[in-house]
Amino acid sequence: MTCNVKSLARALCLVAIAAPALAQQPITLQWQTANLTEAQYEPIWKQTIAAFEAANPNIRIQPILVARRDHWTKFVAAAQAKQAPCIVSVDLTTAAYDGYLRPLDDLWAKEPADFRAAWSEDMLASARWKGKLYGLPNWGGVYAEIYNREMVEKAGLDASSPPKNWSEYLAWSKKLTGPDHWATAVLGGKTDTTTRVLLTWIYGNGGEPFNADMTESTFAKNARSLEAIKFYLGLFSQEKIASPSPTTTNYLEQTVLFAQGKIATMRNAYWAVAKVVGDNPKMDGKMFAAPLPAQIPNAPTLATVSAHSISSSCPHPEAAWSFIKFDMDKKWALERALKANWMPLRRDLGNEPEIKADPMLAQFVQLGANAKSYPLPHPAWADIAANDIVDAVQKALLEPARLEEIFRELDVKLTKKLKDI
Amino acid sequence: MIRGAKARPWTGHGLARERWHGYLFIAPMLVFLAAVVIAPLGHAFWTSLHRIRGLNASFVGLRNYARVLEEDAFWHALQVSLSFTSISVALHVLLGLGLALALNEIRMARTALRILFLTPWMVAPAIGATIWLWLLEPQFGVVNYLLGQAGLIAAPVAWLGEPRTAFAAVTMVEVWRGVPFVMLLMLAGLQTVPLEQYEAASIDGANARQRFRYVTMPNLRYLLIVASTLDIINVVRHYDIIGVMTAGGPAGATEVLPALLYNTAFRANRFGEAAAIGVLLLLMVLSFSVVYLRVTRIARPDPVT
Repeated sequence: MTCNVKSLARALCLVAIAAPALAQQPITLQWQTANLTEAQYEPIWKQTIAAFEAANPNIRIQPILVARRDHWTKFVAAAQAKQAPCIVSVDLTTAAYDGYLRPLDDLWAKEPADFRAAWSEDMLASARWKGKLYGLPNWGGVYAEIYNREMVEKAGLDASSPPKNWSEYLAWSKKLTGPDHWATAVLGGKTDTTTRVLLTWIYGNGGEPFNADMTESTFAKNARSLEAIKFYLGLFSQEKIASPSPTTTNYLEQTVLFAQGKIATMRNAYWAVAKVVGDNPKMDGKMFAAPLPAQIPNAPTLATVSAHSISSSCPHPEAAWSFIKFDMDKKWALERALKANWMPLRRDLGNEPEIKADPMLAQFVQLGANAKSYPLPHPAWADIAANDIVDAVQKALLEPARLEEIFRELDVKLTKKLKDI
Repeated sequence: MIRGAKARPWTGHGLARERWHGYLFIAPMLVFLAAVVIAPLGHAFWTSLHRIRGLNASFVGLRNYARVLEEDAFWHALQVSLSFTSISVALHVLLGLGLALALNEIRMARTALRILFLTPWMVAPAIGATIWLWLLEPQFGVVNYLLGQAGLIAAPVAWLGEPRTAFAAVTMVEVWRGVPFVMLLMLAGLQTVPLEQYEAASIDGANARQRFRYVTMPNLRYLLIVASTLDIINVVRHYDIIGVMTAGGPAGATEVLPALLYNTAFRANRFGEAAAIGVLLLLMVLSFSVVYLRVTRIARPDPVT
């Protein structure tokens, strides 16, 4: 009897000792964004995770490395199985509409006012769907015209006075084109980067691709949009100042061409500068950025907004939110801006001395003050941007004589799609 | 037989029990097949009857099928699929047979050459396609460089940027990948042709062409049917090479049915319609399989007695 009591006491002691240890078993959160595989960002996210885990020993962050082109597919496959990574950066409206994301309003409301004040209402609006907040904007990319200074100067052009409108841009482009190099690249490859660049040309001419409530497509219907499309695609088909094979040219090909001195200018976001230097370190310090040449005064550019969201299947939303807040800290936002060239979206960072000290970054920040946010807020946007618009661009590049007809057909197709949700 | 013991009659009841034993033996495999083939197929069919937007689904009956069949994209993809499959299979068989005949005659470095020709088949299709993607790259690709050096092209060719060249390029890569399979089958077939038949034909004065026409071909007829039908089934559902090299572009020039299925599901986010395309594609493959089974039953050579 005495022996049994002793055994029971021992067992209870063991349970008492092991219980806190079991309770403190760290939880693992998966984190998936398309950017984790990019070399310029890798050291920063590794530091962020290490610092977060040191501060939160009961949470482990497991990065999910996936190639950019497979990012959405992998996320959707996991989300359909209700096994999506907890922390994700995806096409927010589409994912929210599909039920893949968790609304963050309850977590957001608990935060102190000074934290919430770091994001402008406009910025938060880009992360809302049907009035609910589905993401916290983290970084962005403002589109500008980036030039190769050496090629510009070699062509006898004044780098301090870049083109302001399309006729000046065309005049520059003709001088920048030679037998084995071209002024620029027209993008027609099958990703939504093609759409992003096309939209900058449309905005630069005062056009709009859709009506205000996004129920009607106006690529051809809006005369200014159509004029912009004709001018932009004409750089390849008529003016012959763009590199060959636009239907296979995308962000990757465009930056490689630029890094190798095959094209003198590229329309891209600030992160492309880091990519070019990564591809060809000799380009460091030999680039300059300028506002997009435009046909209307004060034309807006395009700014992509990347937000951290929490998937609807995440079993630990509070822990995921704590990592999101940690990653939003000024320290990491500055690291990303200065080393990986991801533009910070917190409005309290624009005046940081480190940002002001980098003239190119400061210029991008300034350009971002007048920008339309991207992606556009429609559940079908991921499909429209990566498929339908790209297909129309490809067809128009292959059959320039049918350009207007192709974009009229696109308007019909997209208007039907916009209403079919 | 034990004296006094009665021989058990081979009754219908006994047969049924024997059959049950047979079913028990194959039961594990049936359960496995049900889990990995039948259940997913059933789920795909069920999905095709729903309008699915992410985690939200509503039953729509056969409306997804009607919608898919109404769309030009489906008929265009079907046409591209049929062209891609017929050209690829024809070239697989022609080149595979040619290579097998050549390899069958070669005596020097025979094994090394066989391994060499089999290499494309050993490489994973997605990896092979990625290699070709860079070889065909317009600015920095080796193909344009070599053709330029040889004076065959004046300016870089955008192989994957124009509909015709893109279609030709993905077909060429598919041929590169698929020829070894047919070659292997043909080579195995050639080694079963009795030498006596060739000797008899030679004695009768048959030349090389006649020996091929009247000895080799009749012996290979069955294998040619098997190889081409299996190849059709394999190629018509093929996605990897096109997915990696063109994703169906430019302007849909290489959008075969599996590429349309993938794009509808993962880019357009319409899983119900994608499942309907999948079921239609499955019916196509099944019809080829039925043809295969019938033809092989008719064409199967008589067993040697």
